[in-house]
Amino acid sequence: MKQVKSLLITAVLLVMVSCGGGDGELTVFAAASMQEALTEIGEAYMAERQDIRLVFHFDSSGTLQTQIEEGAVCDVFISAGQQQMERLDEQGMLLGGSGVNLLENQVVLATEAGAQSVNSFDALKCALEEGTVLLAMGNSGVPAGQYAQKILEYLGLDEAALATSGQISYGSNVKEVSTQISEGVVDCGIIYATDAKAAGLEIVDSAGEEMCGHVIYPASILEASTHRDEAMDFLSYLRSEAGRARLEAYGFAPFGDAPLA
Amino acid sequence: MMDWYPLWNSVRIAGISTIIVFFSGICAAYYVAKAPRLVKGALDALLTLPLVLPPTVVGYLLLLVLGPKRGLGAFALEVFHVRLTMTWWSAVFAAAAVAFPLMYRTARGAFESFDETLAYAGKTLGLSNSYIFWRIRMPVCRQGILAGTVLSFARALGEYGATSMIAGYIPGRTATIATAVYQFWRTNDDAAALRWVLVNLGISAAVLLVVNLLERKNREERKWL
Repeated sequence: MKQVKSLLITAVLLVMVSCGGGDGELTVFAAASMQEALTEIGEAYMAERQDIRLVFHFDSSGTLQTQIEEGAVCDVFISAGQQQMERLDEQGMLLGGSGVNLLENQVVLATEAGAQSVNSFDALKCALEEGTVLLAMGNSGVPAGQYAQKILEYLGLDEAALATSGQISYGSNVKEVSTQISEGVVDCGIIYATDAKAAGLEIVDSAGEEMCGHVIYPASILEASTHRDEAMDFLSYLRSEAGRARLEAYGFAPFGDAPLA
Repeated sequence: MMDWYPLWNSVRIAGISTIIVFFSGICAAYYVAKAPRLVKGALDALLTLPLVLPPTVVGYLLLLVLGPKRGLGAFALEVFHVRLTMTWWSAVFAAAAVAFPLMYRTARGAFESFDETLAYAGKTLGLSNSYIFWRIRMPVCRQGILAGTVLSFARALGEYGATSMIAGYIPGRTATIATAVYQFWRTNDDAAALRWVLVNLGISAAVLLVVNLLERKNREERKWL
């Protein structure tokens, strides 16, 4: 009996060790639009902090939110939309007081370089009304798609009718949308300025605040995180001089020190 | 009010793909079955490849060929002003590519177990090659060919990965049952996703029931032979 017990304890310990992901491994769930910037920052950070290993997971913020709700192991969440962060907050899944507004991005209308299909949001409105253009945008679960919906509404367009008539292609994260633009399978798309820049696309128009509001990326540590100190350290690195400079190089605008509203 | 477009589109894509792979698969099977051993091995591996490749790889390869900025896609755009991607029939390329090996392999298996003496007997009676093929070889092999056709249709109906890469998700244009389920799930519309899941289950179950009925009928016919 005693032997069985010790065997069980050993097994449980083994499982716990193997599931813990090792010491100093920090799992960061981040919006797809941050892929290039965060990958580079992560390398610089790991070179500085030899004891911490970053593991990134990039996808649409809506998908990440669902995965966190379903119990995915995650220490830090960086969302492209406030709504996804708020949902997690309502469920008490965020570490109180750890949330910050990390940075700001801009929503733009992008085309393939030199495509000249549409040259402004107004031209997009005309082309959609005439039915001469195929627009790519994120679906309603993707922050970039939610911003695009607001823009269509602002332009006085009926999204449902446009979708039924086959003029909108829905991507399941913003990278899918930017790939569709760069591959030339769609005429234009609504994405972030940073994605357009990363994919070498042409930004033909930018959405003002009146069209879709501020595009703020909040970041927070998860309540369930077992690496709170490391997570705190990484977040403050992102907001340090070095971190900001790298984010700016990718077209993001670092946000002030205001805590999460 | 439910929009039934994805159902109609899925059935149309699967139907056309099945017709394409029915003829191309039988053709390939017929010639590979007769080919010398070395050629046979190489050709067989090549033709079966889409079955074991992840659909994303098939989708990527299709985009390399059909994308508007590459190869055939650029040519079609330049000469015919047609984009080969993001239309409902773009999905036919994807569905046919992944369904082809199923048709080809089952037909080849049937052809290889065909008793060649029947074909020789036909020849001694002065029958033409095409007569032997259509009136002797095909009827004898119908079981395998029928199974291949049904499997191809089912696989084409269930295609998701390559389809979403080459045709995307455009409601009312390229939406299929498979891509619709994924989009509804991702946008948290569980009710709509579940409805389409039930529709898909219904169709798949019906297809399999038809296969079973045909098999039983076949067995009963054989009893009288």
